[in-house]
Amino acid sequence: MSIIVADGLTHRFGRELALEGVDLVLDTTEHMAVLGDNGAGKTTLLRILATALHPSAGTLQIAGLNASREKRRLRHYIGYVAHAPGLYPALSTAENLGFFCDLQGVPHERVGEVLDIVGLRHVADRRASELSRGMQQRLALGRAILHDPKLLILDEPDASLGGDAADLLGGLMRGRSAVLATHDQALANRLCPRTLVLRHGRSVGTATHLRVVR
Amino acid sequence: MNPFLVAVAVARKDLLSEWRTREMVPALAQFIVLALLIGNFGFQIDSRNAPSIAPGILWLTLVFAGLVAFGRTFGAEREQASLEAMLMTPASPVAIFAGKALAASALLVACEAVLLPALSLFFGTPFSGAIVFVVLLATVGMAALGCIFSAIVARVRARELLLPLLTLPLWIPFIVAGGQAVQSAMGLPGSYDQAIGLLIDFDILFVVLTSLAARFVLDE
Repeated sequence: MSIIVADGLTHRFGRELALEGVDLVLDTTEHMAVLGDNGAGKTTLLRILATALHPSAGTLQIAGLNASREKRRLRHYIGYVAHAPGLYPALSTAENLGFFCDLQGVPHERVGEVLDIVGLRHVADRRASELSRGMQQRLALGRAILHDPKLLILDEPDASLGGDAADLLGGLMRGRSAVLATHDQALANRLCPRTLVLRHGRSVGTATHLRVVR
Repeated sequence: MNPFLVAVAVARKDLLSEWRTREMVPALAQFIVLALLIGNFGFQIDSRNAPSIAPGILWLTLVFAGLVAFGRTFGAEREQASLEAMLMTPASPVAIFAGKALAASALLVACEAVLLPALSLFFGTPFSGAIVFVVLLATVGMAALGCIFSAIVARVRARELLLPLLTLPLWIPFIVAGGQAVQSAMGLPGSYDQAIGLLIDFDILFVVLTSLAARFVLDE
């Protein structure tokens, strides 16, 4: 069964065409990497898949729901890590997660579990502004899995994660569907059986099946 | 998910951040004292003209303090890229907006706790519950409008310029009715009750309108 079915996703920022006619199918628990140079359209594609951005044209179904109409319902299914960690610098690591528990409707007991998963238990009381860039990225990853989403959308999550990035990301992606944008081809090959390559906003093919076309 | 709990969580988060960083309230309190000091030296204040001049100074100070307080509401979220993370949750955008407006109002109320006694001190005007009530009533509607425009302009570069341009015209009804009520509470002729009634009407109107608009403003 497919968790993502996208048809002809296109997006314009003013007169600039950022994404053009991208078709994509992702099966449940399947992992797919998105590769491409800077400006290739990776972030635009991921923001559309995460329902943070409405495409200018094309259709998107996630878990059988229309992503344009059922956006709020779909937020239960999706965990999204954007380019910037987007944390509250004055709040501690645990408080950042606790706040998002309130917004996700998740019990606060989940904070401890997530801190263990992302390896931040020892800095639970430290303010987010005092964390290293890598720790901040781990915290952003922890926030994305607070509500145990079925689909993870990860925009260059390996940035500043360090040597164990692949192990951490592999652990978080296990049992979930995931779309991962990265510049690191080795990481993409290790974590994702399929790779979608974007160039100038267009899909130029995949590394494995040809179910992702163009 | 309970929208009330979401609003409380958002407000608590904003107030906790302000308590820890003390970025806004101390600076605004200093601004308020300085504005009153300038007003005091700028006008020839005596016991006869104080009740007619002091309300003008009060609202002028409150308006500029409010612009700073509400401008930061969504500006800070945009700068640290945390607004998108918040909006990517299933929480209602209206509840998120209400929480942000609640926190910004609380910060402005903290500033008013400095402003009103200082006004009385500098201008020798009475400090009464009636005046506090007027200012608190005006804060509700001003916060709703200030926060919605703060959310609208947060994504543009010239937000510091745009926020006053959009907000000030719609704050005028609060300044007119509030000014009339404060003057009346200070002993000048005018109907206090009528001005309070107007303030309540404006509060209801703008709280409803901004709550309806919040969903569309914050959604994308």
